[in-house]
Amino acid sequence: MSAFNAFTAMMYRQLKRWWNARSRVIMTILNPLIWMVFLGLGWGSIFNPQNIPSIPGIPNIPNIVEMLKSAIDNYFKQLFGGVGYVAFMLTGVVVMTAFMGSFISGISVIWDKQFGFLKETLVAPAPRSVVILGRIVGDSIVTTIQSLVIVMLSTILTNEINLVNTPLAMCYIFIMSLGFTSLGTAISLKFRSMEGFQMVVNLMTMPLVFMSGVFYPVTTMPEWMKLLSKFNPLTYSVHAVRYWLANADVGFEYMDPLTDLTILTMFTVAMMIIAMKTFEKTTLED
Amino acid sequence: MVVEDLVKRFKDVVAVNGISFCIKREEIFALLGPNGAGKTTTIHIIATLLKPTKGRVLVAGYDVVREADKVRKKIGIVFQDPSLDNQLTGYDNMYIHGKLYGLKGRELHEKIMKLLDLVELKDFAHKKVMYYSGGMRRRLEIARSLLHEPEILVLDEPTIGLDPQSRARIWDYIKYLKKEFSMTILMTTHYMDEAEELADRIAIMDKGKILAMGTADQLKSMLGQDVVYVTVDNMNSGINNICNMFSFAKICKALGGNRLELVVDNATKALPEIFHIAGSKGLKITEVSYRRPTLNEVFLHLTGRELRDSPESHPIPRKRMVRFR
Repeated sequence: MSAFNAFTAMMYRQLKRWWNARSRVIMTILNPLIWMVFLGLGWGSIFNPQNIPSIPGIPNIPNIVEMLKSAIDNYFKQLFGGVGYVAFMLTGVVVMTAFMGSFISGISVIWDKQFGFLKETLVAPAPRSVVILGRIVGDSIVTTIQSLVIVMLSTILTNEINLVNTPLAMCYIFIMSLGFTSLGTAISLKFRSMEGFQMVVNLMTMPLVFMSGVFYPVTTMPEWMKLLSKFNPLTYSVHAVRYWLANADVGFEYMDPLTDLTILTMFTVAMMIIAMKTFEKTTLED
Repeated sequence: MVVEDLVKRFKDVVAVNGISFCIKREEIFALLGPNGAGKTTTIHIIATLLKPTKGRVLVAGYDVVREADKVRKKIGIVFQDPSLDNQLTGYDNMYIHGKLYGLKGRELHEKIMKLLDLVELKDFAHKKVMYYSGGMRRRLEIARSLLHEPEILVLDEPTIGLDPQSRARIWDYIKYLKKEFSMTILMTTHYMDEAEELADRIAIMDKGKILAMGTADQLKSMLGQDVVYVTVDNMNSGINNICNMFSFAKICKALGGNRLELVVDNATKALPEIFHIAGSKGLKITEVSYRRPTLNEVFLHLTGRELRDSPESHPIPRKRMVRFR
């Protein structure tokens, strides 16, 4: 019973801190919004076949233009799983927001090291695994809420989002957030400075995002990138969230929401165990 | 609480080098020493935050390595560096602490309010800690460390960096805890007045070792009545020859910088005699002073240095240098 108390205490603390820093909340939403507006709307019209007839060299014969239009339209529809590029990308950005947010939330451990609060949690008699789990769950709730806000905002830019399935998509987001928060937390337990952690974040997040199918489908990637993206847990959450939010099934042939769930859960459990083990071994020397 | 032959070695520094002491129930025990003496390292080992390289520490009968979780329940600790969450209110800091220690509900709320009242922070309970002054933060930390009713209270430099008024206030709380709750307290300090004022027993620590231990009076009586410090222009004739001249001194010892320490029964009578002997043997005295022994004189006697001018040498563990930190 007391272990559960410690869990809720840490969860409460992470949520309260987030709520107390509301100006930061705006920032975490602003960044994905920039991607959505500029990249989404900018690229969106390129993939729109309505712009075809103005290309010089295509004979202006109505049938041929119609044929070309529908051929190109079909091609893009097939690439993006039957939806326009805007809906395709926005559903990816929802996952990206959760991913970035959860990975970076590990930095609060470094803050706590510098301001001394980590010592307070290290001398507490509650099991360390429970303490760190409380943190991770608290932070994951925060990132899930943030991506929910992004989903709501994305309905302004496209009408192809299926809001009915949002709770389902959020389940995937939450599970993935738990995994990446655990990873970020475990890494930052080993760091003392923000700069070092920031570097790891920069080195890891961008490649992972680009190899997950957020901005372009995994199916059109070069073979080596395809191979790598199969080992990227983000690929599976992008696929699942897109599946539920946009009804678009873009991914490798073996992927379906259940496979995604299995792989994500396995990843998350593994990361949680790593984070718990790391925290259990933490002394002031790290 | 028992500490036996404790050694802590960081990569290239020995921070604690074989210390042993034990603390009785309901006693205030102070580790007195300059910065870098190994006091905080000792505290961190007792608080289960560092693993000892060698030796054994028992807190309330539990081993700090094998039964860390039991030890953690028994101690309340105030660290030297702040350990509060600045972005939360004082109340929330207490609340989270209470929950981490298994308290809950109305009982927790009442305890928090009682303790905040004790340290006179009730009116600031719902202000964020970042707006607290240094003294207020310290008081909040003391209140927090008492929340789970620990058997042993550990205070690491409880008044460091505070102004005299705040220091006096913290002293009052510590005395109150001893009087009202018969609390067992382990504290570290580099202020001699603090150790003398609060502690039942004092261990003088320097460079990872305990040099002497006892009540303030016992420590001072190591030196007898008065201590005379004589600085001579040179020690060419050798310390033994010089000491032979002053055979009436109970202790004669060379300190750094041509300085002699002579422990005598009555300095006012000894001084003319010292001048007389020195004059007749051709020893030139450049400086003379005498003091009633305080803990500073005891420290000077034990180490040859004054407590206040000990060099700052905080051991910084340098390890795995490739890592970015």
